[in-house]
Amino acid sequence: MSFEEFQNSARLYVIGALEPEELQDFEAARKVYGVAAEEFINQCYSLHEAFALSLKPAKASAAIKDRLMAMVRERNERQSQSPPKS
Amino acid sequence: MSSPVDPSLPGASAQALEGPPLTTDAQSTSHDGPSDVDLMTGIQTGDPDALSQLYDRYNGIVKALVLRIIHNETEADDLLQEVFLEIWNQAKNFSAQKGKPLGWMVTLARRRAIDALRKRQAYARAEERLKAEPERQPLAWVQNTTAEEITSGDTRALMAKVISSLPEAQQQVIDLAFFRGMSQREIAAHTNIPLGTVKTRLELGLKKIYDSLKELKDEL
Repeated sequence: MSFEEFQNSARLYVIGALEPEELQDFEAARKVYGVAAEEFINQCYSLHEAFALSLKPAKASAAIKDRLMAMVRERNERQSQSPPKS
Repeated sequence: MSSPVDPSLPGASAQALEGPPLTTDAQSTSHDGPSDVDLMTGIQTGDPDALSQLYDRYNGIVKALVLRIIHNETEADDLLQEVFLEIWNQAKNFSAQKGKPLGWMVTLARRRAIDALRKRQAYARAEERLKAEPERQPLAWVQNTTAEEITSGDTRALMAKVISSLPEAQQQVIDLAFFRGMSQREIAAHTNIPLGTVKTRLELGLKKIYDSLKELKDEL
């Protein structure tokens, strides 16, 4: 697999769209190209952010945040009250 | 580098739906107050106020992504809460050296939403909804983006512009792969398009978006 082919596969890989048989070839090429492969894969994750940012933000219910923060603070309190493990 | 993925996701069982965050800052968003990384550091030390601020900053984006995947307002609200709880619980796994907080959050949110889509068997219901509004596909992806918004220069409009510049056929397959977690074979079956064509369209479309992001990054 050429590096250009690897790049094409990497973009499919980060969105989970490689077929199982393609994944084997991809992983083999990934080992061959080493650090350059890992760096390129990391860069490909910018696609995730781009897709999310392309959407118009949606309004969430105010109750969601209240519930979330109550859960988090409750967990914090539980952890602070629990005795340290020996 | 990659993290384990729910094996129940066809075509994605060994892939990186939950991978490292992005490394580009092409879509950087500016905020007053602490940076995203500062907030993540606060969360890592157990500061609820840091989570509160991060939520205020990104709940709209995260909910939009989740809603785009599962097409159900109530489930999207529930998932939004679960995603931010996961951010709180998994913050120790975030590394600023590997990328930005938003990329990490989006990756978590997408994986969880696709997981929910399949596990809760909402797939069929979403399918019915989508069939009921075919005129919105695939352009619903960049829904509500007006020319005025595109020229306003904000990050979302830029991203929407990049994606909407793709041929519709490429938008369609990317939409099915990214927002519905479909494998190439599933897309081929869903659209009656040959598998090879699906692959080509995905590769071309993703490359164009990737290259556009790089250009944006250079300009910024």
